[in-house]
Amino acid sequence: MVSTGLLDAIATGLVTGSIIAAGALGLSLIYSIAEVPNFAHGDMITIGAYLALVLNKPGAIPFLPDAVPFVGSVSLWLAGIVGVGLAAALAASYELSVFRHFRRKDADLITMVIVSLGLALVLRNVVLFLAGSKNITYATDPVRDVFWDAYLTDYGLTIQLTQRRAGDIVTLDQWGYAWWLVALVLLAAVGVGYGVYRRRSAGAEFDVVHLVDPRILAVGAGLATLLVLAYLLRFQAGTVSDPLASTRVGTSWKDGTVVVLTGLAMFVLNVLLKTTRLGKAMRATADNLDLAEVRGVDVDRVQLVVWVVAGFLAALAGVLAGWSASNINPNMGFSLLLPVFAAVIMGGIRSPYGSALAGLVIGFSMDLGVHFLPPSLAVYREAIAFVILVGVLLVKPEGLWGDV
Amino acid sequence: MALADFLITLLTFVTVYSLFGLGLNVKYGFTGLVDFGHVAYFMVGAYVTVVLTMPAEVAGYAGIGGLNLPAVFGALFPGGALVGWFVGIAGGMVAAAATSLLVGVPTLRLREDYLAITALGIATILNAVFENEEWLFNGPYGVQSVYEPLGDLFPLGLGSFTLNMVVLGGLSVLLFLVAGYAVVQHARRAGRRMRLLLGGLVALFVLWYFVQPVLAGGGMVAFERNLMWLFDPTAGQTGGLDYDRFLLLFATGLLAVAYWWVERTVNSPYGRVLRAVRDDEDVPKALGKQTYRYKIQAMMFGSALAGAAGALWAIQLGFISPEQFAPTLTFFAFTAVIIGGTANNKGVILGTAAFWLINSGTRFLNDYIPSEYSVQLAAARLMLIGVLLVVILYYRPEGILGEQDYTVNVPEDDAGGPGSLGGLVGGGDGD
Repeated sequence: MVSTGLLDAIATGLVTGSIIAAGALGLSLIYSIAEVPNFAHGDMITIGAYLALVLNKPGAIPFLPDAVPFVGSVSLWLAGIVGVGLAAALAASYELSVFRHFRRKDADLITMVIVSLGLALVLRNVVLFLAGSKNITYATDPVRDVFWDAYLTDYGLTIQLTQRRAGDIVTLDQWGYAWWLVALVLLAAVGVGYGVYRRRSAGAEFDVVHLVDPRILAVGAGLATLLVLAYLLRFQAGTVSDPLASTRVGTSWKDGTVVVLTGLAMFVLNVLLKTTRLGKAMRATADNLDLAEVRGVDVDRVQLVVWVVAGFLAALAGVLAGWSASNINPNMGFSLLLPVFAAVIMGGIRSPYGSALAGLVIGFSMDLGVHFLPPSLAVYREAIAFVILVGVLLVKPEGLWGDV
Repeated sequence: MALADFLITLLTFVTVYSLFGLGLNVKYGFTGLVDFGHVAYFMVGAYVTVVLTMPAEVAGYAGIGGLNLPAVFGALFPGGALVGWFVGIAGGMVAAAATSLLVGVPTLRLREDYLAITALGIATILNAVFENEEWLFNGPYGVQSVYEPLGDLFPLGLGSFTLNMVVLGGLSVLLFLVAGYAVVQHARRAGRRMRLLLGGLVALFVLWYFVQPVLAGGGMVAFERNLMWLFDPTAGQTGGLDYDRFLLLFATGLLAVAYWWVERTVNSPYGRVLRAVRDDEDVPKALGKQTYRYKIQAMMFGSALAGAAGALWAIQLGFISPEQFAPTLTFFAFTAVIIGGTANNKGVILGTAAFWLINSGTRFLNDYIPSEYSVQLAAARLMLIGVLLVVILYYRPEGILGEQDYTVNVPEDDAGGPGSLGGLVGGGDGD
């Protein structure tokens, strides 16, 4: 009998981390460009999750008028897209109706903190007012977990793809790799990764701006090689009885979608920041607002875009979090606020890339922490993010990657 | 329940929250520290005081045993029970201050916003710890046994019914007269709009407190009971002062001590440094002040006051459990401080009173709205508070009263007035 282990915790951590990273990316943009330590960010995440509900499961929101004709139960994909769009529009309204005015008054950081807190109170209670405090799930087809059972035996590595059906574990598929093949595939992956890194960073000058950092590209290429080779070179399974080691990883295509979607959002934002005029203006504003304005950057427009992008990312995180946990409640955003802030501070407030990476790190730490700590401490998942936050503040308060 | 009892509960509430707000004002108003975890010290203060003064064995309590300080001190010398309770509250304050030290050390060297998030984090996590760890303070079941200082003296009477009524009732009337005189004095100095506002508020109070109960069928008895609010005719054999009324006086006394303490602090050269830290930290730093130390001290002072407020709050409620200490309490305190006037101790009390009047005053709506909408009503109230916070910060960031004046004696040769940075140089403390 196999049981879940470290690899499973890593897989869960990847999903948690992706959601936190999406939230942290938006928060770090608001933090560095709009200069608002946005305590409403958690509630922007909640709002996003609930806005997807409007189209997906309108019955869950009692205050929604029944008579609206086009409101019906549509698939989460469409509802999510509309919800995220609505949330982005709402975020624009925060900037236009609140933060722009305070910026015009040259409000200091403390005032901004408290204003964002007021906004958070309003947002969270709008949700409570309209939808109540109960737990809701999206109307979607249930997604069954697939277990990847890995066995290490004398022969090599054997993978069994199993699933729980009506209480029994059914083996869907199985295949194996001999030891020499495992070694070969790993070697190939490392080789490709290293090769890509050497090639991309060759002759790099300080003024070269990579669209994707060579290190990230190298890790991505290595992983891709690993997966492709592992897929192509599936051979007959060995025996699975009496293994040296075995572990089970439970995933579903849900998890994959969460990771891919957040990755995609990050890549698009990356392109926006690095290749467009608007992105340049955003980076300039983050560096020095007054200087950017003097040089003809329309700062108001940049700020508006920042809020829209942040609202978009927060809502994306909210929908994905609600979907992957099969649970939406008014508290979900607030419980993500601490990890998201921890990620932003760990990554360096001025570095969106650092924040996204730190979001992943914090997601991993939270799930690995739950894995390693005794079960009685599992309720303190958030506390792990907090401990990391305090550790970073003590050791390296400017963040681990404190540059844009 | 007579209206007087309701008034007493509300006033005790306002007193306790004023003490809580005073602590926040020391941090936020005078030193500029945005502590979003203020409620954590309130909670720590309440729990530690209660456990220190609780008997060792209490049925249904599985947490760390009580130390029963009032009994320990009471056995040593007469009046020791009260001393024991004061030792307990001191313990609560020290524990609250120590907790804030844990928050302050990693964050206070850094920008203001780091403190805000760290403090919010510790408040959330401490609350989760208190909720989940039954061996600590009984987890979600809370503590049911709260020691009432001097509780065995009450109801307190002077002998006969008439004597009680004359003394306590006379005292009540006297207090009303003093309050009325203060209002009139204030109205004289104030402008026309202020006078109208004050007049309106007083008229509203009289209508609600005196006229309405009489008209509602209470007759002169209701009027007399409300007028002589300190005298409870149903307490004991001959009537007298019951514990709720005493608690209000007791809490008011403690608030007065805390008020005096905070006033003394902010009006001293020390307070001047705190304000300088708030306005521009580089200036006191350039003058050789170790601003980090000042910030930590202000943080601990404010948290200790919050701890004391927690101890009183525990007595008023009679039991404590983790869910009473939700993070919203911090935001209520921020709203109260900002309404009344940031960096104004009178403003804190005024703001707290105004805030709880709005919050409790809208509770009568509960009677008119079906109970299935109670969640909506509570949410609408909090929404209103959030909007109020933003609107006040935009239109009147200084609050109703604005920053208070300071009476710091500045040497003659200093050009600057009281509170100006010029005075900083004089108040050296060897740092």
